Amino acid sequence: MTTRLRLAALMPAAALMIATVGVPFVVLAAYAFQSRGAYGGVMPPWTLENWQRLADPLYLGILLRSLLAAALSTALCLVMAFPLALAITRAGRWKNLLLALVMLPFWTSLLIRTYAWMFLLRDTGLINALLLRAGLIREPLPLLYNWGAVVLGLVYAHLPFMVLPLYAALERQEPHLLEAAADLGARHWQAFWRITLPLAAPGIRAGILLVFIPCLGAYLIPDLLGGGKTILAGTLIQNQFTASRDWPFGAAVSLALMAAVLALLWLETRRREEPLL
Amino acid sequence: MKRRALLFFPALSGLAGCLRGGRRRLNVFHWSNYIAPETLPRFESETGIQVRLATYESNEEMLARVLSGNSGWDVVFPSNYFIRPMRELGLLERLDRARLARLGDLEPRFQQPSWDPRLEFCVPLHWGSSGILANPRLAPVPQRYADLWELRYARRITMLDDPAEVYGAALKKLRLPLNAHAPAELREAHREALRQKPLLRAYLNAEARDLMAAGELAACQTWATTAQQAISAAPHLRFVHPEEGFALYADCGVVLRESKRKELAHVFLDYLLRADVAAEVASATCTATAVRTARARLPEEVLAMETLFPPGETLERGEWFEPLPPESQRLRDRLWTELKSS
Repeated sequence: MTTRLRLAALMPAAALMIATVGVPFVVLAAYAFQSRGAYGGVMPPWTLENWQRLADPLYLGILLRSLLAAALSTALCLVMAFPLALAITRAGRWKNLLLALVMLPFWTSLLIRTYAWMFLLRDTGLINALLLRAGLIREPLPLLYNWGAVVLGLVYAHLPFMVLPLYAALERQEPHLLEAAADLGARHWQAFWRITLPLAAPGIRAGILLVFIPCLGAYLIPDLLGGGKTILAGTLIQNQFTASRDWPFGAAVSLALMAAVLALLWLETRRREEPLL
Repeated sequence: MKRRALLFFPALSGLAGCLRGGRRRLNVFHWSNYIAPETLPRFESETGIQVRLATYESNEEMLARVLSGNSGWDVVFPSNYFIRPMRELGLLERLDRARLARLGDLEPRFQQPSWDPRLEFCVPLHWGSSGILANPRLAPVPQRYADLWELRYARRITMLDDPAEVYGAALKKLRLPLNAHAPAELREAHREALRQKPLLRAYLNAEARDLMAAGELAACQTWATTAQQAISAAPHLRFVHPEEGFALYADCGVVLRESKRKELAHVFLDYLLRADVAAEVASATCTATAVRTARARLPEEVLAMETLFPPGETLERGEWFEPLPPESQRLRDRLWTELKSS
């Protein structure tokens, strides 16, 4: 009886997953093996052409560049989030306030926050205006519409996704372990390197996944902060479904991106021989 | 082609409308900036027909929604170069001209447009052009598209984020037709665009308006409507219809074949042709109306906007966008992706 109850309780979530993930995935897979309609949509015959096109250096380059941008953003997030998460676990009664501040940006839409960055980074934006006023520069710095702005935007948007799992992992750590290490003669950095960091590994892995995967598919931030001068995988896919009207190729690119992520995940779990997360 | 802004609104609200019975209801899918605040309330109170409005930002977005043939929309507003594709896809209903008494009020050149010479499928309502918006306080005003390849504007100009417009400007610089689509011509335009890219700050659509008004750019390629909005905010800006020629487009009302409320759809299209309604939309949204009788009702300061209503000899240099053959479309998409990722 309880088993049946448990199964019944899982049904809403299962139905939602099938309807919003399973069905679209099947549709996408069916699209990816057909031909483009002249004005959008998909048509028979079935073909492998969309997949052959992916091997084109042009598209491989875009995929590679997206992987690099996502990796760089993830690394920067990790470097910034680790000390922050550690500091929050040791902040005593300020802990909850600090956590709330980390989550505060989620209260406004990403689009609006990205526009806010555009206002900060523009030639006549706050940063350039202050630097000019202070006499530190003569000409406005080109802060917007370049790779730096794109990575900045990605790091900004995804930092909380790194902080929260790291915090959860570090919070669970027993403070006595560090005391014991100190008693046994370990220096601070040794204790950090051999106790804090290894015990935080599940949090680090979860944070990397939560940041890397959305960065890889991001299209709003590269589009707005990159000024349309760069193409990343997310923009490429979006273009195929809109301006280019090549849905089958767009479907193939999205599936290739998914496959790349899954392959990375699979390698990771196999290497560690333990479940993910 | 992505126009105007970046936000788009879910169309679901329109679909919910079909489910409720009782009052007569019409589902309208429109560009985001072509309706004045009073337009719909007046129509509803005069006819008793309730309008469900949702908006889109690009022709492709609209086409993707209605392609299935059971989208729930009755009236949509494709650009002129989307009429033929949508007709070939069997999406458009033949208009019942007897129900469109005011078609004769259109400007003569919109009575027999090249994309639908007998107005069998569409009602041209608004039109526009693209060109160069410049800030004379920062640099000499460019008169030709070729000027946007000059070093003195380096890093202080933007082009539209749109393959038809960017390659269109390059083709005009090469003195080729706007709609040239032979592979050799497209590749030549692509080489020009590649040469220009290092000089550009970015490829921007609506955002260029604010950068121009703030004095961050010396010039940008933009749509006349967007330019007029910038000029209203910063009157020293100048809009130029380039010497080599420029692009024209028109947005046209059509009735979808799937519509179950075709009569009401015709009533709505005829309402939009009414002089007072068209004039109201034109002055509220800074777009040029195709309705001749509306021009008499426009405020003088709107009529005087040469950006929106260029004089006849300027207009002669304009060319209407045409649909690209599928093969050329595919080549241009590839070149565009190459240009963007170079």
